Amino acid sequence: MKRIIFALVAFMLLSFGANANADEITFGAALSLTGKLAKEGNLVKSGYELWKETVNKKGGIKIGNKSYKVNIKYYDDESDPNRGAKLVEKLITEDKIKLILGPYGSESVFATSAITEKYGAIMVQGGAAADKLYTRGFKNLFGIYTVATEYMDDILEMLKNKSPKPETVAIIYSNDLFSAQVAQGAKKSAEKYGYKVVLYKDYPKGTQDLSTVIVEIKGKNPDIILGCGHFQDTIVIVKQSKDYKVNPKAIGFSVGPALPDFVDSLKGDAENVLGAAQWTTTLKYKDPVFGSNTEFVKAYKAKYNEEPAYHAAGGAAAGVIFQRAIEKAGTKDDLAKIRAALSSYDEETLYGRIKFDATGKVVGKGMAVIQIQKGAQKTVYPEAVAESKAVYPKPAWK
Amino acid sequence: MIILQILVNGFLLGGFYTLIGVGFTLVWGVTNIINLAHGAIALLGAYITYFIFQYWHIDPFISLPVSFLSMFLFGYILQRYLMNLVVKAQIFMLLILTFGLEIFLVNFMTTFFSADFKSVTPDYAGSSLVLGDIVIPYIRLGVFMICVVVTLIMGFFLDRTWTGKAIKATSLDIEAAMMSGINPSKIYALTFAFGSGLAGLSGSLLSLTQAFSPNIAGGLTLRAFIVSILGGLGRIEGAFLGGIILGIVETMSSYVIGESYKNAIAFGLMVLMLIIKPSGLLGRKYYAEVKH
Repeated sequence: MKRIIFALVAFMLLSFGANANADEITFGAALSLTGKLAKEGNLVKSGYELWKETVNKKGGIKIGNKSYKVNIKYYDDESDPNRGAKLVEKLITEDKIKLILGPYGSESVFATSAITEKYGAIMVQGGAAADKLYTRGFKNLFGIYTVATEYMDDILEMLKNKSPKPETVAIIYSNDLFSAQVAQGAKKSAEKYGYKVVLYKDYPKGTQDLSTVIVEIKGKNPDIILGCGHFQDTIVIVKQSKDYKVNPKAIGFSVGPALPDFVDSLKGDAENVLGAAQWTTTLKYKDPVFGSNTEFVKAYKAKYNEEPAYHAAGGAAAGVIFQRAIEKAGTKDDLAKIRAALSSYDEETLYGRIKFDATGKVVGKGMAVIQIQKGAQKTVYPEAVAESKAVYPKPAWK
Repeated sequence: MIILQILVNGFLLGGFYTLIGVGFTLVWGVTNIINLAHGAIALLGAYITYFIFQYWHIDPFISLPVSFLSMFLFGYILQRYLMNLVVKAQIFMLLILTFGLEIFLVNFMTTFFSADFKSVTPDYAGSSLVLGDIVIPYIRLGVFMICVVVTLIMGFFLDRTWTGKAIKATSLDIEAAMMSGINPSKIYALTFAFGSGLAGLSGSLLSLTQAFSPNIAGGLTLRAFIVSILGGLGRIEGAFLGGIILGIVETMSSYVIGESYKNAIAFGLMVLMLIIKPSGLLGRKYYAEVKH
């Protein structure tokens, strides 16, 4: 009798377990939940969680006639890319998960994607923008952040159709790797659109006085000033441009205007400054899971009581794209088919229209261009999804 | 025309370097202490101005005496009750002590004021004097003038008052000074207090022209160091000359060669000076001879 009961219980447990597995698709993610990248890591996780909840509320991921619930297994990489790589290896070999959602940060994605590539697992990441991620010939990495060298492209594209037509550009950049890449890209874009680059100059990372550089810019009298640096440099450039009465027709930055601190630090001087952004809350994109970007923002606010940052939106979008590729492939286990579905992916999502090139890098998504108008960030480009028109030419500093 | 503007900028920047250098060179010349915490003390002054501006909206120029006096007091206590304990030891010990103090102050500021960059921006920031093609921001002009005036007052004080003469005497010949009734430990404390007060003042002025965070302490100390070496130790005029030269060399090299090279050039200049004339442009005998 005892044996029979034992067998029954064992059978029930087994079938229960099997059932759970059968109706679920488990994704894995090794994120920075503690340490120096904890803030961004947790934002990306919030994005993943909101996506999971939304999908599951709608029944799950549909493959044929069957729906599968989403489950995500998380590990904390403690902001250490090497630990992240080990944890991803654990996800693949011990937890048998082959669908990996990326971490936040270029270093972490760089390290962990080498592991997914080694095991033939697939990673979709919405958390890193370095060009070097896509120069290794990987077949299993798909990234949705516009890469560094394309950061400033959209600002220049937007400005080329304005009148009076801007002719000259001055580009200054902080001499760290990321900013230098952004600047290189900006220079290339400027030449592509027919601008004349009158000044292309670097300054040391962390410089707090750029008056000489500003005076030099003034001597060249460019129509556009582009700054590729960090938040603090951006503040210095704006302040000192005002000090020395440098008044270009447009001034734009890769980092700074999209952050809330920007207006707090500069007050009225922030007015009409342009910025590049991976994503903003007001972009009017449709989305296959959330309905639209607006719906996503609403759902996010309802769940977390705060405005979503682009990190969180990137996480949610990575989930959406992974899901859509699996649905399109019609399988959760055949990685080759899912990979093919990602390679040929072409759909509008909350993050923009996503399409990947052969290296897995997003192409044609572009950056949103924002402008500070009356103390608030307004999305001004791409025009089809913008909320207001760009102020051009920029009035002189007051 | 750009050259002229850059020269003007360098000159104005030089005024600030003078002020931060004066306190440093005075302390070094008189007490033989290379105060590696000089930049950190300057930042304390910057934070005083910042907080007074932030919470009471008091004009940063008005808070300058507060910053000077509190750092003066801080320096006095520091010298009297901490540095004095090891002042007779090897110069190396003092160096380590001030280095430790620097680390402590920087971490103290990071903990309590955060590592974020702060800046003081009064309403009139951004308005400038325009002379033809030359633009001179009023704030920089004001900062320059205060630096020059304070440096002049300091020079006057050392030359004309009893205490000032006592400070000079102590630095020239400590035994003779003691024989004429000067108490060296008091003079040392007073000198260090002046050095710190001037550092605090320069920090307050710094907060007006650029953003600051605890991490830039080292950079400030290095600037003060270069100014002292260039001008000659313990000399007010030397600090003035050194400061202006450093300011102009920095801005010119930034323009001609590139912003990224300006530190290398400034240090190259210092090394050159040490090779050609180790006592500095205006350095003379006795000032800051090794006393141990």
